[in-house]
Amino acid sequence: MTGVAEATTSILREPEYRIEGRDKVTGAARFAADIVRPGMLHAAYVTSPFPHARVVSVDLTRARAMPGVRAVLTGAETKPQRLGRRLQDWPLLAWDRVLFIGDRVAVVAADTVEIAAAAAAAVDVEYEELPAILDPEAALAPEAPVLHPDAAGYAYLGGGTRPTVPHPNVQGHGIREHGDVDAGFAASHRVYEHTFTVARTHQSYLEPRASLVWLEGDRIRVVTTNKAPFALRQHLSVSLGIPESRIVVDAGHIGGDFGGKGLSIDEFVLYHLARVTGRPVRAVTRYADELQATNTRHAARIILRTGVDPDGRILAHTSRVIFDGGAYAAGKPVATLMPGDAMLTLAGYRVPAARVEAMAVYTNQVPAGHSRAPGQPQNAFAAESHMDLIARDLGIDAFALRERNVVRPGDVDVTGQPWHGTDGAALLAKLRSASRYDDRTANIRSVGAKGIGVGIALGVRHVGRGRASMVLRVTASGHVELHTGVSDQGGGAHTVFQRIVASELGVPLEQVAVIRGTTDAVPNDPGVGGSRVTPVQGSAALAAARALKKRLGDRELEEVGALEVIGEAAQETHEASMYAYALVAEVDPDTCKVRIRQATLVADVGTVINPVALRGQLEGGFVFGLGQAVMEDLRVEDGRVVTANLGDYKIPTIADVPPLTVELLTEDPGPGPFGAKSAGELANPAVGAAVANAVHAACGVRVMSLPVTAEKIWRESRRSGS
Amino acid sequence: MSYDYHEPHSLDDALALLTRFGDDGHLMAGGTATVLLMRQGLLRPAHVVSLRTIDGLSGIARTPQGGLRIGAMATHRAVERSDAARGYSPALVDAFASVATVRIRNQATVGGNLAHADPAQDPPPMLAALNATITVRSPRGERTEAVETLAVDHFTTSLSHDEVITSVLLPPILPGTREVYLKFLPQTADDYATVSVAATLRFADDATVADVRIVLGAVGPTTIRAKRVEDALRGARPTPERIRDAAALVRDEVDPLDDLRGSADYKREMARVWTERALAALTR
Repeated sequence: MTGVAEATTSILREPEYRIEGRDKVTGAARFAADIVRPGMLHAAYVTSPFPHARVVSVDLTRARAMPGVRAVLTGAETKPQRLGRRLQDWPLLAWDRVLFIGDRVAVVAADTVEIAAAAAAAVDVEYEELPAILDPEAALAPEAPVLHPDAAGYAYLGGGTRPTVPHPNVQGHGIREHGDVDAGFAASHRVYEHTFTVARTHQSYLEPRASLVWLEGDRIRVVTTNKAPFALRQHLSVSLGIPESRIVVDAGHIGGDFGGKGLSIDEFVLYHLARVTGRPVRAVTRYADELQATNTRHAARIILRTGVDPDGRILAHTSRVIFDGGAYAAGKPVATLMPGDAMLTLAGYRVPAARVEAMAVYTNQVPAGHSRAPGQPQNAFAAESHMDLIARDLGIDAFALRERNVVRPGDVDVTGQPWHGTDGAALLAKLRSASRYDDRTANIRSVGAKGIGVGIALGVRHVGRGRASMVLRVTASGHVELHTGVSDQGGGAHTVFQRIVASELGVPLEQVAVIRGTTDAVPNDPGVGGSRVTPVQGSAALAAARALKKRLGDRELEEVGALEVIGEAAQETHEASMYAYALVAEVDPDTCKVRIRQATLVADVGTVINPVALRGQLEGGFVFGLGQAVMEDLRVEDGRVVTANLGDYKIPTIADVPPLTVELLTEDPGPGPFGAKSAGELANPAVGAAVANAVHAACGVRVMSLPVTAEKIWRESRRSGS
Repeated sequence: MSYDYHEPHSLDDALALLTRFGDDGHLMAGGTATVLLMRQGLLRPAHVVSLRTIDGLSGIARTPQGGLRIGAMATHRAVERSDAARGYSPALVDAFASVATVRIRNQATVGGNLAHADPAQDPPPMLAALNATITVRSPRGERTEAVETLAVDHFTTSLSHDEVITSVLLPPILPGTREVYLKFLPQTADDYATVSVAATLRFADDATVADVRIVLGAVGPTTIRAKRVEDALRGARPTPERIRDAAALVRDEVDPLDDLRGSADYKREMARVWTERALAALTR
């Protein structure tokens, strides 16, 4: 074995080769929808055409009579079973009422996809339409119909009890206060209040959901695209009333996630179909259904109120955030039943006093769940637009206002807690130089360039938390196998683990194999999500390598014979890092089309383990954020998603992506292996505000909602005459 | 979705099949639109008659008179890469190159595009501005029709079910003529136009406008010929002021809908902006 320190630095310095890259490029990688079983049947659903209706009757006569149809089930057979990641409020199949367009009423299993679809179309359902609640404010009215009258009976997973809510149509609610808010406002030189809205968006992963379920003796076998297989096992166990020991979940390659693949909605009914037919049953979601009936990012309405002193220093802050949670809270895994960072309304700043209130509300809309940095694109858009508006009104440069307020270690931020993370001043200084902000703005001023402006915005993201363990085995030939429950959803998890283990053991990469196991073969794993994989599971891989080194002592790997150790890691403390953008936008004076000419991103990432994948996460995060900043809008009319295909629901193509300069801060170590932090959700949330701020600087028009479209700018410029 | 798929080897065989199936039959060229409509359940033919196995429908060549003939089964990509087409009019090539992505352009055909009659498509306004005609075969013989009048409503043409477009004929371009195709994409580069403008303009020897044709896409149930704008320019010197005033007339000629690519108000105003830009480009 070579010296560990030397190997560590050399392996981590080299650009990585993706472990799974060859299989994906050659087509050898098999995704859930590629997997077939002998005798496999195909599922298709009967779904509600109404946003809110009573199911009067379901007639299966015609469907059951069709050749090739093996089973048709309705809510009458699955009642009262419901599914969900934390609150199980989503019926496997609705039996009394449907709560959104796309809600499932019956399911068919048939010999082919075509027969299943034809049989589903032949199920006759009689509905009685009920008044639909399509707006969260309407849902909060005292006399509003209660969408979940039986909520008290819903399972709430993860221990504890569901937090109380102020209105039965509220999914989750939070209120938090620190400092003397009233005194802060009273002492303020100016108080600003702004209201922002953010459109519903979709994660837009390439691979739609797919799952396959069959019974094998006493066991229930599940092949799935779910990125948290152990969590899915628990959800299935609670919903179906079957012990976890009988359920085996297999989540292989996952074709994109972006937060959306934590919610499963098919596997539950597939179990029932497999049970009644005795055959494997598969469901592959059509993309139209992905867009209409899975779990979107929450649309939001955000009111921010902030008091400042004459220099623009924040003295007090209040906020009220209302998320449209849609028909079910099932997609949300966190205890509060809100998007993860629902209450982070003025992130990255010193806030001596704040009162923050947020809630997710039931409506008869498509359910909302988790999407890359849940809650943050909404809150970052509002906060960073708000800061820009304050700077403008006070006549202070937008950069200078942020420098005066940005959080430094030990400062109290909007959470009321001391900040543990990036030195915000250093981050902004780096952004100022990397983006050539002073030159650019001076140049724009001196040449009187109309229609060009620089916008800045910063963002904060916690480093992932959780507990994980992995098994490291030495084979008789001295090779090392890391056995993990983590499925790679495209982020490069397995390559991270391989590099960590090889670095720590000082062995060549080829000597370390990463083997993903099903839930019966590897230790419990929290799954992919919450920026967790590198800091938490990566730390478990490192712990396993360290445990192995200890067992080896002076011996070489080739000498010890078969050997097995377990590595465990827990990251419980709240650590966070920051990033910031400077974006140069040009606005066409006649059409108001926005062209981003250049973007600079500075990100605090700690130690870099996968340099290529890190860059991919940051660049991809920027493009993901850009799509939601300027074009993405999962538009709903009367409860129906009208952008139900990827021809109408637009996401960026490469021709839409401007030149991006990325500068990394790597000096300040994070809690992850070798000092790594997280990157997967670090770059996307602040793009919306950076665009809105750049547009304002370019043409004097402020857009208060996402996405910032040409037509909104045009409309606003006509209204304001600017 | 179940249907019989037919691959006739001659135009006569294809026409015979279309006659036999009547309303149960549907003609398919590249299939990029037809297959999508079928997958969405908007089109449920019992018989699909493909043209891809019929030889001789995909040539692209200059005519002896100096025009251009494009076989109906020529793909968009073939037009885009054709020296004959580029030599005839670079703006025509621009219009075909503006369609979707290269994967689509490798499959979608010139005739299929016209028969689909989607008012937001790129080629029809340019073909109409260039005064193109199509040749149509049916069991009753052959006829020609102007591209400008082919579409009669959203996704509806004047063709009857047993008629097949066999080629597009573009007349010679007179000396002194300039052409342009502009497509406005406010959101993403991969999209249908919010508005598109195809225009041709010929100067007389005295620097007045001898002739001008302006056709807009995506702002009405069919492509829209901006005749009032043309009338305001014909015989006149195209000064910036005159162009601005003439382009403003387009607002009353277009008939846009509110949709995902813009409100009717916005599209109407953008039709003005892009008409002015097209005319500015032609008179620069």
